[in-house]
Amino acid sequence: MGRGAEEEYDYLFKVVLIGDSGVGKSNLLSRFTRNEFCLESKSTIGVEFATRTLEVEGRSVKAQIWDTAGQERYRAITSAYYRGALGALLVYDVTKPTTFENVTRWLKELRDHADANIVIMLIGNKTDLKHLRAVATEDAQGYAEKEGLSFIETSALEATNVEKAFQTILSEIYRIISKKSLSSTPHPSSATVKEGKTITVGESQSTTTTTSCCSSSS
Amino acid sequence: MEKKRLDDYEQGPVPSPRAVDRFGFVKPDNTSDGLIKSRSAYEYERYKEERRVRKWRKMIGVGGSDWKHYLRRKPHVVKRRIRKGIPDCLRGLVWQLISGSRDLLLMNPGVYEQLVIYETSASELDIIRDISRTFPSHVFFQQRHGPGQRSLYNVLKAYSVFDRNVGYVQGMGFLAGLLLLYMSEEDAFWLLVALLKGAVHAPMEGLYLAGLPLVQQYLFQFECLVREHLPKLGEHFSNEMINPSMYASQWFITVFSYSFPFHLALRIWDVFLYEGVKIVFKVGLALLKYCHDDLVKLPFEKLIHALKNFPGNAMNPDTLLPLAYSIKISKRLEELKQEYEKKTGKGARELSEKPMLPGESN
Repeated sequence: MGRGAEEEYDYLFKVVLIGDSGVGKSNLLSRFTRNEFCLESKSTIGVEFATRTLEVEGRSVKAQIWDTAGQERYRAITSAYYRGALGALLVYDVTKPTTFENVTRWLKELRDHADANIVIMLIGNKTDLKHLRAVATEDAQGYAEKEGLSFIETSALEATNVEKAFQTILSEIYRIISKKSLSSTPHPSSATVKEGKTITVGESQSTTTTTSCCSSSS
Repeated sequence: MEKKRLDDYEQGPVPSPRAVDRFGFVKPDNTSDGLIKSRSAYEYERYKEERRVRKWRKMIGVGGSDWKHYLRRKPHVVKRRIRKGIPDCLRGLVWQLISGSRDLLLMNPGVYEQLVIYETSASELDIIRDISRTFPSHVFFQQRHGPGQRSLYNVLKAYSVFDRNVGYVQGMGFLAGLLLLYMSEEDAFWLLVALLKGAVHAPMEGLYLAGLPLVQQYLFQFECLVREHLPKLGEHFSNEMINPSMYASQWFITVFSYSFPFHLALRIWDVFLYEGVKIVFKVGLALLKYCHDDLVKLPFEKLIHALKNFPGNAMNPDTLLPLAYSIKISKRLEELKQEYEKKTGKGARELSEKPMLPGESN
C-alpha cells in the first residue's frame, strides 16, 4: 500500500474484482496498485483489499478495491462485499472458455447482491498467452454490448491495458456520481466522507473528502 | 499412483537454486537473518532440543507403541509438552497419533489407493488449477509435476472423492500441503479425514461445505469474543466497519497455514491437533491483544493492512503462544455457538454431531 501523501483525495470509489478462480484477479490488482506481478501467487482465500489514488477527469480519486476468491463456494462470504460497490470488474481468462461462459452467472450474482446501478466492466485477461487464446475478442465484445457492459482485454503479466481498464471504470463511475451530485447538491465539495465508508450511487451528498490526518506508519 | 496428468497448468515456476530456510521455503532475496546467534547459544539450544527429543521418544515409544498408555496416565504432561512444541523430527508421527488418523489408516487398508487410482472426481480441474498456487515458495511444491505437486494432487483428489459433498475447496490445499511436509500421502489423507470428519474433536468439514457454515459460525464467535475480551478494539472495529471476514476467514479456513510464518504455523498446529480449534480463536485474540495499542489508532485502510501483516515480533511463537494460552474462552465459545445456532435457526450443521468415520460406521 502506498504511503504518506496518498491520504488526500476528492472521491472514494469502492470497486470489486470478481470472476472465476485462476483468471488473474489478484495479479490485475497488484499490477494496478503496486505495479507488481507475482508468478508464484497463491490462490486467494476469502477477500483481499488494496487501494490506489489516481487522477480521473481532473479529480483525485481513491479506488478502494476488493479482490475476492473466485471459487463458487466462497460466494457465501464474498457476495457481502458487493454491497455498496460502485463498480465491478468481471474478469475471465481469454485462454479458458469456461471462465467466459461463467460470466453470465457472475452477472446474475451481481444482480442478486449488488446495487442496481453498479458499473460493470468485462475484462478478458491473459492476452499475453497468444498461442492459447480460446475466446475471440469479437465474441466478448458482442456479449458486452448486448449486456451493456464496458469491455477491455488485458495482460496483467505484460501490464497491457491494466491502467486503462481501471481508468475507464473509474471515469464511468465519476461521470455518474458527478451528474448525481450536480443535480442534488449545489456544493459537492463541502460534503465529506469518512475514510472507509463508501459512496453509494443513490445517495445525494457524500462525494468529496479530504483527509489529512494520520501519517502512514507502514 | 500418479497416472493423472498435470499438464493443464499456468506458469509453472522452475525449481530454483535459491537458498531455503530450515523448513524448505525459499528465502526472500533481501533476507537478513536478523538475529545471528552466538555459537554457545546455538550449542545450548541444540543440547536442549536433543534432551527434548529423548523425552518425547520415551513418551511415545517405538513407532508410537506407548503413546496411548502414556496419554491415559498423564494427559496433563502431554498437553504441557505439546504446548512447548513437538520436536520437528517427531512431528509427523505425533500429529498422526494425536489426531486419531493413525487408527483410521489401520482400519481402512487399501482405501486410499482405491480412491487415488480408480475413482474420478468432478473437482480434478479445480484441484489442478490450484496445485502450483499452494505453497509456491516451498521447494517441495515448486517443481512442476514433481513429487510434491503429485502427492498434493493425489491427496486432494482422494478427499474430493471420499467426501463428494465437500469435494475440493480452495484452502484445503494448504492443509494438505502442510501435512505432506511431515508425512506420506496416505498418512496426510487420513489426517485430513480425521480433521474434517472429527475423529477426536468436532468435525471441521463445515468449513468447506456449501455456504461455508462453520466459517460463518466461527467468525460470529470470534467477533463476539473480540468485543468481550478487547472491548476498546471491538468498538474501534465497529466504528471503522471492520468485520472479521475481512481478516480472519483465512485463519480458520487454513488454520493459519496460508500466510503465517511457517515455524509459527507448526507450533499452532501442534496444539490445534491436540486441543482442537479453540487454539485458533486464542491465537487470533492474542495477536489482536499484542498489537492492541497500535490497532486502536488506525483508520480503516491501515487497519485492514495491519490485520493482514502483523509485525515480526507479534509472530514469535514463544511470546504469542503463552499469551494465547492465557486467554480463557472454552465456556464462552460453547455459549456463543448455541447463540449462533439459535440465531440462524437450526445450527451450522446437524451432521457435525454425528461423525461418520469409515470403520466406525460398519
